[in-house]
Amino acid sequence: MIAPPRQIALEEWDREYERLRRAGMLQPIYGGPLGRHVEDGDTRLLKLRYDNSPAALRLWNFLLTEEDRLRAAREGGKKLVGAMKDLGTVPVMAYSLDNLVAFYPDGAWWIPCVMELNAGLLQIADSLGIDESFCPVRAMLGAFVTGAHFPVPDLLTCSVGATCDDFSAIAQRLNGLGHPILWWEIPHRRSPEGDEQAVTLPGGFSASPSQVEFVRSELERIRIALENLAGESLNEPALARGIEKANRVRRLLERLRRLAFTAPVCPMPALEMLVAEMLAIHFCSDQDETIAVLEDLLAEVSRRVEAGVGHLSSQAARIFWVNPVADLQVMNLLEDCGGRICGTEYLFAHALDPIPATVPPMEALARTALADPMVGSALDRAARIVRDIRRFGAEAVLVSRISGASHCALEGEIIADVVREDCDIPVLEIEVPSITDATSATLSTRLQALVETVKDRRDT
Amino acid sequence: MIYAGIDAGSRAIKVALIDGADSGILARGQADQGVEQDRLACELFATVLAEGGVTTSDVGRVVATGYGRNAVHIADTTITEITCHAVGVRHLVPDAGTVIDIGGQDSKLIRLDKNGKVRDFAMNDRCAAGTGRFLEVVAGRLGVSLGDLGAMAARSRDPAAISSMCVVFAETEIIGLLSCGRSREDIVAGVQTSIASRVVAMAGRNVEPPVLFTGGVARVSGMENALQRALGQPVTVAPEPQMTGALGAALLARRHCENTNA
Repeated sequence: MIAPPRQIALEEWDREYERLRRAGMLQPIYGGPLGRHVEDGDTRLLKLRYDNSPAALRLWNFLLTEEDRLRAAREGGKKLVGAMKDLGTVPVMAYSLDNLVAFYPDGAWWIPCVMELNAGLLQIADSLGIDESFCPVRAMLGAFVTGAHFPVPDLLTCSVGATCDDFSAIAQRLNGLGHPILWWEIPHRRSPEGDEQAVTLPGGFSASPSQVEFVRSELERIRIALENLAGESLNEPALARGIEKANRVRRLLERLRRLAFTAPVCPMPALEMLVAEMLAIHFCSDQDETIAVLEDLLAEVSRRVEAGVGHLSSQAARIFWVNPVADLQVMNLLEDCGGRICGTEYLFAHALDPIPATVPPMEALARTALADPMVGSALDRAARIVRDIRRFGAEAVLVSRISGASHCALEGEIIADVVREDCDIPVLEIEVPSITDATSATLSTRLQALVETVKDRRDT
Repeated sequence: MIYAGIDAGSRAIKVALIDGADSGILARGQADQGVEQDRLACELFATVLAEGGVTTSDVGRVVATGYGRNAVHIADTTITEITCHAVGVRHLVPDAGTVIDIGGQDSKLIRLDKNGKVRDFAMNDRCAAGTGRFLEVVAGRLGVSLGDLGAMAARSRDPAAISSMCVVFAETEIIGLLSCGRSREDIVAGVQTSIASRVVAMAGRNVEPPVLFTGGVARVSGMENALQRALGQPVTVAPEPQMTGALGAALLARRHCENTNA
């Protein structure tokens, strides 16, 4: 019998796991009770609430076993690529080669949350001069120093230029600690000028041919480095196959998002949707398994949408969420306060768009890299958010500030102005630190007030 | 039928009773907030009921709001202070476009649409430098009462620039200013300007007039002028500025009761 959708605590999940196991639930090799991850120090997991489907269990286990996969890959002779400040381009290239595995060291920004500050990563960053003036992604420095959260990669790449200033500073500090980095430049995206032709980018943006050519040439340097590391050629057919596989992930996510965000009753909690979307960036170190995990999740969501069931009331306020949160618990909090997610822009919207298949692979990747929300203006980003608000029927926007992140200085105000002007819906800006326990009451007040505002406006 | 609103703020509890027939305030009361929030709210509620000449059986519904709203067990429901202040102000000043509420430990800016509903809002509760707490600290440091601050600020000829973003450091800065011989009047005026500029920074680019000022800090003379200067447009202190949250809660209690019975 399939259980009705609910959000359950870790302890209940472990009991449910036993029941499902006895009932013959098939599990991947990384399967098992969620509670075992707490033994690794992931104590925040005890305070989260999870979707009760086997598909969600698989998603969480997949996410929480990435380190094991990376270490197994190294032991198996594969080379590891740490793709920093790159939300969806270099990993596509790396996974086009059989003996490379790419991962996302920046993902360490969630370790202070998941381990409730007990890993000491932020203190290590402090001691290296990267203090709380910087974005919580500085936890990555501590992870490199301790080596306790991911193996030190064989190759580190990092995009700089139009991406985060604070991340550049953090990566330069890492470089100074003796970790060589292959830097590549991504320029600020600009529209074509004068008689320049416009090159269409994913997401509806455009750039000049010279910019696309420049980024392509930068990615060529990465290609050569990846070939040298892998000891094999990354030719166009291999790259085209890699792009097609990445697009398969992106198509799955597109269907998942459309179904989940437009359903009258929310079919999948915000937290699981966030984790699912993050898989687009680097495939959690296993592209095939990413596809399997997302197919499972999509099947569950499709079943729930067809049945008209979900874990929240159909009256939940439809919120469009901008930027990922450092504390995962805030996604639960939104739902406790009467909201649901109907649209997201977690700063990697370009990693959800299909990579163009009608142009040569390297140019296609260059176009995708230039569609990164962070390398365009906040106005471009706001325009895309407005499009998606209309597409998903969101009733309010919540901009989650990341303390210290350079892109957060002004973008919230610009996005708010554009959304108010074009959609006439409320916009709320909040700041979410790695652990929100001390501020959860005031965060609740803001979220509840936003929900009240949305519901009051429905009566107009 | 009588409806009640309880605003359990961080520094004070306020209770308003309204008559369902005409929405007029039947009775009101205020008490200092404390550790035992529920008990203090219940005691004040009982006092206000007695002053209004009514009993609990006359009360159709109670709505609690404010920072301590979830601790008030006599409430039938809770609603955030954002919504309640908006409803309260709009009831008193029907064409209000923006509400600035500065309380003891937070400040809010609420934009209203033409129908009087909340359009959106911004809130500061992480930095005491934009709240009434700053005024309390300064009054304590200068050895004057809160009620004297307005008159002192009015006598200032050259308001001091308070640059610290944090009350703790600002207090150190004030000690430094005193040791440099700056007058207490200039320091108070500088602090009022500093609070106003922090609140206005929340507003962004759109502040729709008329701007109404509520909360306990609205009763401190000089703050209204400081906000006007920072905003560059007129600011009006709402009638009974400390009671607008409780009044809004009572009005919403009536609305909820009517909707339930409809």
